[in-house]
Amino acid sequence: MTEREQQLEAGLGEYLAARWNAAVAISKLSRIPGGASRETWKCEASANGRTQGLIVRIDPETSLIDTDRRTEYKTIEAMFTAGLPVPEPVFLEEDLKWIGRPFSITKEVPGCQSSAEGIPPDHREKLGRQKWTLLGQVAKLDPLKLGMDGFMRVPALDACAREQLDYWHKVIVDDEIHPNPVAHAAVRWLLRNPPPPAQKLSVVHGDFRTGNYLYSPDGEIRAILDWEMAHLGDPYEDLAWSLDPLWNWGHSEYAGRLLPHREAIRVWQQSSGLRFDPRAFRWWQVFASVKGIGIWISSSEDFHKGASKQPILALAGWLMTDRQQQILVDYLSPNSVHRFFEANA
Amino acid sequence: MIPKGAEGIGHIATRIAVDLMPKAADAYAGADMGLIATLLGLVAQDYDRAADNLVADHADIASILREAQPHLTDASLRRRAEAAASARCQTLRVHDLAARGDIEMRVLIDLHETVEKAMDEGAAWAHALNARIWRFLDEYVARRTYQSAF
Repeated sequence: MTEREQQLEAGLGEYLAARWNAAVAISKLSRIPGGASRETWKCEASANGRTQGLIVRIDPETSLIDTDRRTEYKTIEAMFTAGLPVPEPVFLEEDLKWIGRPFSITKEVPGCQSSAEGIPPDHREKLGRQKWTLLGQVAKLDPLKLGMDGFMRVPALDACAREQLDYWHKVIVDDEIHPNPVAHAAVRWLLRNPPPPAQKLSVVHGDFRTGNYLYSPDGEIRAILDWEMAHLGDPYEDLAWSLDPLWNWGHSEYAGRLLPHREAIRVWQQSSGLRFDPRAFRWWQVFASVKGIGIWISSSEDFHKGASKQPILALAGWLMTDRQQQILVDYLSPNSVHRFFEANA
Repeated sequence: MIPKGAEGIGHIATRIAVDLMPKAADAYAGADMGLIATLLGLVAQDYDRAADNLVADHADIASILREAQPHLTDASLRRRAEAAASARCQTLRVHDLAARGDIEMRVLIDLHETVEKAMDEGAAWAHALNARIWRFLDEYVARRTYQSAF
């Protein structure tokens, strides 16, 4: 066990003992690969003769995405209350005295995996239907009834698109190490072709894709993960992100490697009760790739200038930027052969 | 000098992925090694092509800027376009080529915005130049495409 692991084990044990008012033993502490926005660890905590698997998400020194841990945790609480499959929230701790950084704890969802590569072919369709049904359920929620305006900004329906575009445009301008002509051309296209107002105010997960949910060996989605980019906005934002060709690279016939695009949209419509407007959705498709490029540019900047030298940051900044540029020129170039399947084609 | 640099880096990536990764102490270290091997595969591709890409970018952008110059009414942009089109590098080091490339790419981005505005105002010349810039962007992206299993 490394010195860091020893300190973490001791700090978590003391913290849980204080919160549960019982002697706590921490065991099987290990860091989980992936997840570039937070350090994610799993462990078992034993107290009062019971053992519980826990997931601990620790603020990193630097990450792909600069996010607010409280917003993430409160969103998981709200989704748990609404009955959506998310890890059960346990504690949010922002005091640095326990392990040196803020962290949150949820219960482990055992026996599951998130890997896109690990999806058995015979569960592909079943998982796909659940995935877009769940996304439709998220879109259908009334965030104000869930009290989410208590910790999230509430944009006007006609401001959702522009607020997101302004945010990610700024990320691109602030973080690009080399000027990216494709990203700038795409931002200008978005500015010149604004979409209609959102048809409703929705909870937007912000990173709803294959890889960000846990599924069981029998093909059931048990938990939606990684709510760190959650906000209130246009429900098309999540739908477009979930259908971005990046998430089905090399398997263009299946959105997220799961369902044909049209079928994914049909399932989402049925679940959300929302209409599908191809013209409005087109804007959100292009936006999804601009947001993607913003994340990849930002991660590359973090890798070069930040404290962390995690290889995932470099990979995102190099390979993902390449992929996302290919998607954007495919969408926007007058010379495009449109090799990427477009949901509204 | 690394003999056959791209191949050499590729061999190192294979060594990590095939021989060392299975011996990683835990899943997290193994995943990191896998990412590093993938990254080295990308570096190997850039090792061979980076200078060529930057020189090709410069030739294309310089040609576009020269074509645009008669239509530019903004004196500042015209001056920047002239300077970028004729910029020379002291060396063929990637660092120097990239520094020149950054300057001329900023000019190209501003030019593209100007061309789009001119298109909106009905300027006939702008359509041809816009198509030319997009052909460059197509090439720019194609030159940087990585071959990767991901």
